[in-house]
Amino acid sequence: MVTGKSKAFTTFLRYAVLIIVGLIMIYPLLWMVSATFKSNAEIFTNIGLIPYEPTLNGYQNAFNDYGGQINLLQAMLNTFKYVLPKVVFTVGSATLAAYGFGRFHFKGRDLLFAVLMSTLFLPQVVLNVPQYALFTKLGWVDSPFYLALIVPTLFAVDTYFVFMLIQFLRNVPKELDEAAKIDGCNEWGVLTRVLAPMLQPAMVSCALFQFMWSSNDFMGPLLYVKSPALYPATIFVKLSMDADVGFDWNRILAVSLISIIPSLLVFFAAQNQFVDGISAGGVKG
Amino acid sequence: MAVAAKINPKTAPATSKKNKRGKLERGYMGWFFILPWIIGFLIFKLYPMLSSLVYSFSDYHLFKGISEWGLMNYQKIFSDPDILRAFGVTLKYAFITVPLKLCAALFIAYILNFKIKFVNAFRTAYYIPSILGGSIAIAVLWKSLFRDDGLINSILAVFGIAGPNWLSDPNWALFVISLLRVWQFGSAMVIFLAALKSVPTDLYEAATIDGASKWKQFISITVPMITPVIFYNLITQLVQAFQEFNGPYVITQGGPLNSTTLISLLIYNRAFKTYEMGMSSAMAWVLFIIVMILSLVAFLSQKYWVYYGDEDGRKK
Repeated sequence: MVTGKSKAFTTFLRYAVLIIVGLIMIYPLLWMVSATFKSNAEIFTNIGLIPYEPTLNGYQNAFNDYGGQINLLQAMLNTFKYVLPKVVFTVGSATLAAYGFGRFHFKGRDLLFAVLMSTLFLPQVVLNVPQYALFTKLGWVDSPFYLALIVPTLFAVDTYFVFMLIQFLRNVPKELDEAAKIDGCNEWGVLTRVLAPMLQPAMVSCALFQFMWSSNDFMGPLLYVKSPALYPATIFVKLSMDADVGFDWNRILAVSLISIIPSLLVFFAAQNQFVDGISAGGVKG
Repeated sequence: MAVAAKINPKTAPATSKKNKRGKLERGYMGWFFILPWIIGFLIFKLYPMLSSLVYSFSDYHLFKGISEWGLMNYQKIFSDPDILRAFGVTLKYAFITVPLKLCAALFIAYILNFKIKFVNAFRTAYYIPSILGGSIAIAVLWKSLFRDDGLINSILAVFGIAGPNWLSDPNWALFVISLLRVWQFGSAMVIFLAALKSVPTDLYEAATIDGASKWKQFISITVPMITPVIFYNLITQLVQAFQEFNGPYVITQGGPLNSTTLISLLIYNRAFKTYEMGMSSAMAWVLFIIVMILSLVAFLSQKYWVYYGDEDGRKK
């Protein structure tokens, strides 16, 4: 029924759709990169990717101080100051919780698991006001150590990661635990010596996603970081835009682009882990 | 997995039966491992949730405290045109964004699932926006793209189309915000792609022998087989859409004429600009209840359209 000719045409059509849609998706990002090398006069008149008169003005201005207290590099450094602890604490606490839920049959486990799952659907916006009041009372708002952003991650508050690790843990045979116990491991030993190595790909996925999400997080710093000297990159980008809107787009776009370079590097270094992580977490949901 | 293969599956369960006392200990130990999560849940989830419910029945102001209790916030929510419009805009936003995003994700995943060369390169290209799209940097880019002299209108002009003034036209601004999220369909696509790969190929072979067209196969084999994943994506995207904040906050500040004031933006403004903590708590709870009702409807509708196959291990 399907002739060779029409089959070739279907194949051609598939590639055509993929390439055209792909270009539409990616073009804005490519344009952004090229716009950072254009002069402000050129940005909105040249839709192509090659600047007529390439300039580094945008980049030179990108590193200017903002009100004398913060610049782009400092802001990016500030981002790391809370993103890295958040990543470490999240992976640790989520692994503990996943182990507890995935491997033990204790009283009330099913109820607590239902609670865990339901918090996946709990909008953060419901929690913001009381959390703000609580963190203010505790003196965590505008803390130089970003306590309001970091401390909660010690307690596995990002339920999605617990859920993801539980899903992975289900595929690790329980016989491994039993064998390790016969060899004299206690529960802690089973986790650290047997399961953690098996779970490592999943833990890496959690770390990568938490890195991306925390780096991109805007609401958290917006609420809990007040001093300009402590501003992270997301806030800095927003302020740069507000300050220069309409005049200095090559600077704003350069600031924006530089601010996402760490995320881009991490993504390209580990893209397969991202894909595997998201497929595994999703498909088994 | 290599380690797993070394252990004889026949002997392992037998030893575990012997170890009955050990099993009891293990159960008790579970509490120990989930203890951090329990503490976190109580302090950072349950307590804030309940106190926001309590606040919602008060006129709690960050600096003036509480002077009155009652249902006034809820009465105001259902009579204040600004608040009602914000809920309306949010619903509209969710009902534009979620279907468009899921359709785009499924469509591209479907094509990628054929024997495509460079599948990884394509997957990466489609996935990048999902990874970066949540950042403020991309919201800034979006704002520059949709200026009246921005890239989008310049490209439209090449085709002789005079594009609208996207961000200052109340009819278009919400669509621009929505498009930013639709553009990030990559993560949903990756999930769909993994699901499509797991559909048994013999089903397609049988259908091809019976002379079913590709479209017919898609509708009667592919879609039914991946309904659990469609369901998963639907719920997660819906919950996300109702909380959209960065787009309107950075790109339009809710304007023009409040046409992009999503409810989370209004809640933020009421809580942290005018410090009406009680009022914003009440709005947050109404939002929460709407999300719960929609999720509940989706969950209950599962039995009519979601196919879970024979493994009940997959279902919770």
